[in-house]
Amino acid sequence: MTSKTSKSTTLNRRSLIAGGAALAAAPFSFHTARAQEATIKIGFPVPLTGPYGAEAQDQVRAAEVAIAEFNAGGGLGGRKAELLVRDDKLNPGEAATRALELIENDKANFIVGSLSAAVQLAINNVTKQRGVIFNSISQSDAINEVADFSKYTFHEALTPHMTAGAVGRYAFSKFGKKVAFLTADYAYGHEMVRGFQEAGKGMGVEVLGDIRHPIGATDFSTLLPRLQSMKPDILVINNFGRDQQIALKQATDFGLKKTTKIVVPIMLFTGRQAAGLAAFDGVIGGTSYYWGVEDQLPSAKSFNDQFRKMHGGRVPSDYGAMGYAGVRTVLQAVKNAGTAETDKVITALEALKYDYYKGPQYFRKCDHQSVQSVMIIECKTKDMRNEADVFQVVASEAPNEANLRSCEALGHKA
Amino acid sequence: MATDLAFEANRQPSPMLEWATRHRVALASLFLLVFPLVMPFKALAVMILIYGLYALGFNLLFGYLGLLSFGHSALFGAGAYLCGIAIVHFGWPWYLAIGLGLVAGMVVALVIGALAIRTRGIYFAMVTMALSQCVYYLFYQAVDLTGGENGLRGVNLKFVNIFGFQVDFLDPLSRYYIICSFVIAALWVLSRILASPFGAVIEAVRENEARARASGYDVMLVRLLTFVLSGAFCGLAGALLALHLSTVPIETMHYETSGLAVMMCLLGGMGTFFGPFIGAAVFLLLENLVSVWTSHWQLFVGLAFMVCVLFFPRGIWGTVMERMKA
Repeated sequence: MTSKTSKSTTLNRRSLIAGGAALAAAPFSFHTARAQEATIKIGFPVPLTGPYGAEAQDQVRAAEVAIAEFNAGGGLGGRKAELLVRDDKLNPGEAATRALELIENDKANFIVGSLSAAVQLAINNVTKQRGVIFNSISQSDAINEVADFSKYTFHEALTPHMTAGAVGRYAFSKFGKKVAFLTADYAYGHEMVRGFQEAGKGMGVEVLGDIRHPIGATDFSTLLPRLQSMKPDILVINNFGRDQQIALKQATDFGLKKTTKIVVPIMLFTGRQAAGLAAFDGVIGGTSYYWGVEDQLPSAKSFNDQFRKMHGGRVPSDYGAMGYAGVRTVLQAVKNAGTAETDKVITALEALKYDYYKGPQYFRKCDHQSVQSVMIIECKTKDMRNEADVFQVVASEAPNEANLRSCEALGHKA
Repeated sequence: MATDLAFEANRQPSPMLEWATRHRVALASLFLLVFPLVMPFKALAVMILIYGLYALGFNLLFGYLGLLSFGHSALFGAGAYLCGIAIVHFGWPWYLAIGLGLVAGMVVALVIGALAIRTRGIYFAMVTMALSQCVYYLFYQAVDLTGGENGLRGVNLKFVNIFGFQVDFLDPLSRYYIICSFVIAALWVLSRILASPFGAVIEAVRENEARARASGYDVMLVRLLTFVLSGAFCGLAGALLALHLSTVPIETMHYETSGLAVMMCLLGGMGTFFGPFIGAAVFLLLENLVSVWTSHWQLFVGLAFMVCVLFFPRGIWGTVMERMKA
């Protein structure tokens, strides 16, 4: 292949420029763009492109708030923090490669991010082998289990078990005991169903059926009549993103809402904004955060205000806000430890009791799961203060370790 | 290169090109040895190696035999999963696991090939794609072994033992060179296959099937053998991917991964010895570099592809080789 250079005189000018220059120049310009050594670097792989792009961009915005706040407060004795955002394209292989890049090339001190169960598990497997702290801001039950967990693994997000549990306990006590499921056939859906069933165990809940649909489905018209004929009190729709919007729209069109209460484990702020009120009207859902709680919670107020100031008046979404908490917990632990050294930061994270945006939180010792509140929301139909005022919080389950899967069930020694 | 040379034998190729063709494996190896030093980061260099090898295996079938398969993700994925499963669930040593991945690629290729080689053209593409989807769902549903949607985690190698030496597999550069040695070995084997009489038969079948059959060659057997050999290269690439990422995502088996091989092959130059590597390098480099600068990277990568199609009709490497001969 080296003979190419010696023969290049016979190449014409155009192909030489197009082929050679582009290949040669790109990597070198990249090298010079590296940042200086002293900053605390936080790698932030999120799916900026793909179906969850809107959520991911909000995660970045919220993380920028945490970084700006840390730097404005003087950093760690003058050491500033820096956010290295990478697009993981919602692909675990790409995410693992990006995590390797962030650790090996950019020498990132910490990794925070991800927005898919599979992606966070892939990143976690890379970081735990290399002794780098990873704080995941996406839902998963598996990441707490002993096979995937390591002392470097932290989970700021809720788990499907917590979310489904809280929503289930609320809905089963209010709307009836006969339940049917419509579930996206992948880990997220399965974990949610398990969470609802666990929650319903002591409450005499009767499961009438669980219909599975492939992920990315666009037509539920064959499934909805089957669900209708089961005559459930509650229909739980366990899917996410676009699937959820379409399923809710079609369920509304089929008139399911007249006889049945529709419940979703996670009701997305961005989903409600995209699909409009009609589809989401009357639906009960869970969320990690809704910005409207700022009237009751001073921490939410201060976070929202900072977010508005930095990002032209917009308010943070649920998944976005976790980007803030994910980065701020790590940076606060760095401050408390007085160093960015991994082991000391782990100790500081384990000792952290924090209230950054949604009330008190802390990391459980055995699996580093953030124990936190779960909010139950429904759509507002009147008295909206502005365009973003779409939900109201009807209940909030206080942080309680009893609502998590037990350490023994996860395989940890107590 | 071999094809092009045979094709234009009467045109008296330059002695330099002839020399380069004869030593193509050595030259390619030399290139791969210095390659990580000019790459923005080592993990990307390893990905280019692995996808280059995958596209190389695909090129054997597509470029040399002339069969367009849309099911190569099954061969690639089977290699990755079997290598990973051997390490995670059965604690096999890494070299045996790589061997198993390679064999897995061949076995899946044998099954898919046996069913698909009777068809040709668009039908061959459809049948291979359908069969690879069957393999995809098989691995997707076998959650206990493969992790299903969550992917297979824990393909963790801290050190590898090479002839008594402990080599740190977590170190990016040594990881690159360990994987590179497998790729170079594969390149050498491929070069031997192409230079052998069997290699000439592969190209004869592509050029004129009826004539090859009239000359006494069993065309079906040649096709099946080539498919299985292609499976060996793709299975090896898959196994190396599992070791590199330390996880096997289910996306490895997705049909988009099949499309990726077609893309890389066309971009680099089908039917050329080193083209698939160039294709993989350009594709992955563009994607990685541009997506750091802007979240609208797809726009720029798309434009770059259009430029390639317009100015490099035979693929980047294919066009360069053609110009050098002209």
